[in-house]
Amino acid sequence: MTEPTLTELDDLASVERPLPVERSFTKPFWDATREKRLLIQYDRAAGAYQFYPRPTSIYSGRASDIEWREVSGRGKVFTYTIARRARPPFRDHEPFWLALVTLEEGVNVMANIAGCTQERMRIGLPVRPHWQPLSDGRHLLLFEPDD
Amino acid sequence: MALHDAAIVAYGETKIVPCSDRDVWELGADILEQLLDRSGFEKGEIDGLILSASMTGAGNPFWSQTTADTLALELDFCQSVDIGGSSPLGAVARAAAAIDAGLATTMLCLYADTAVAETNARNRAYNQEWTVPLGYLGPPAAFGLLTRYYEEHYGLDYSALGKLAVTQREHALLNDLACEKLRKPITVEDYLDSRMINDPIRLLDSVMPCDGASGLLITGRRTAEKRGLTKCAIPLGYGERTNLHAGKPVVDPTETGHRVAGAKCFAQAGMTPAEIASFHPYDDFIIAIMMQLEMLGFCPHGQGSSFVRETDFRFDGDLPLNTGGGQISAGQAGLAGGGTNLIEAVRQLFGEAGARQVKDRSNALVTGIGGIPYGRNWNTSTAMILTSNA
Repeated sequence: MTEPTLTELDDLASVERPLPVERSFTKPFWDATREKRLLIQYDRAAGAYQFYPRPTSIYSGRASDIEWREVSGRGKVFTYTIARRARPPFRDHEPFWLALVTLEEGVNVMANIAGCTQERMRIGLPVRPHWQPLSDGRHLLLFEPDD
Repeated sequence: MALHDAAIVAYGETKIVPCSDRDVWELGADILEQLLDRSGFEKGEIDGLILSASMTGAGNPFWSQTTADTLALELDFCQSVDIGGSSPLGAVARAAAAIDAGLATTMLCLYADTAVAETNARNRAYNQEWTVPLGYLGPPAAFGLLTRYYEEHYGLDYSALGKLAVTQREHALLNDLACEKLRKPITVEDYLDSRMINDPIRLLDSVMPCDGASGLLITGRRTAEKRGLTKCAIPLGYGERTNLHAGKPVVDPTETGHRVAGAKCFAQAGMTPAEIASFHPYDDFIIAIMMQLEMLGFCPHGQGSSFVRETDFRFDGDLPLNTGGGQISAGQAGLAGGGTNLIEAVRQLFGEAGARQVKDRSNALVTGIGGIPYGRNWNTSTAMILTSNA
């Protein structure tokens, strides 16, 4: 392998990110991010969580079974990749992390990982939320190492 | 069973190019004429049209009707199939079902996309809310995530993936319709040394976006026999699964819908993987080929690397693989790209593959992959076994 080792990846802290499109059924999630609180959907009948937010239960197809619950956002890296190519406004900020994180509640969330060297990254790495401010007062859920 | 009462009586294909200077409908007209020439059918005998998804057509909710009007087709059945790269193979199954149900007698399956020259797609999906704000580029990132997972949990020999890339490239050298830019030999070292796009996905793992078109003419098997069309391809089995494990919050991304779609396809055909004469899997990234070998039952889950090392995939080898080069070495004709390996399989069954003709043309297995969901592998998996009439 001729690939040079890159220890630090861009945290994307300076990127003016595209604002997430909000839908009628995802408003509670985004409203809570204004206070850096993480709400995810819980199916009372199935006794299980789901992510990303859906207009119905992924378990039963019954929207009436769904409620929002606040969770810690702690989890572990499920898998990861290094993005070495990106479109604006991320262009020229490569390389950066993209990962799937399994929350303690048993759902996978896709996010960038902040403050993590290549040497530190691994599948199973414990992580905690890292809230990135958006220009409209909402926050984007990212993660940082918690080991 | 309805499927094998249909017969593919002609195939058509354009050159795959990096950016088409011909309009998508001009490509469609080219395919139509090829099919008429090769089948002996008149335009007026075509009473059904099934289009694949198309990035060029994506801005028009009346795409199949408008295309039929442009080509002056008078029809009893007209639709587009919108299951991404699975659309071309899905169209064959839908054509057979519609013919069996008496909705039409002779179907034009047309796969045309000029996604590079003119894309009109505006993707209303999870992306704008959950992935665009992360700088996620879609397929290469999705395959980076699943490849890293595969490596961690099952072990992955990247030189085995390189072998698949090299074999497909050798086949593209023998295919005059493959994109010229890709018709240069590569080695396993070239594969391993190619630059990372989304670690561990490399440049030579990935398809190059291109423009192009292909198509099939499908009629009833009895009609084909009556007209003396002895050269045809008959579908024997088909399976399709969209959103495997849709009701599970965390899934193993190396397990795909091909496990169930393949099992259904093989059962319907009454065949086993060992009987497959040539294999034409959908290839958007090299690892997808290995994953399909596992899910379709050629080898156990997680043991793709050793199976690839032990198997000769050249057109004259043990299990001929994507003998036209696959999309990765022929170019990906947008959402019509699922037609490339399908048409190659039909060409092989017809015995018209020239310098790359396989020895055993008794059957071929073709697959489709379509759509990239949030944090999984792909939306739709399809598999079809075709047999020659020879």
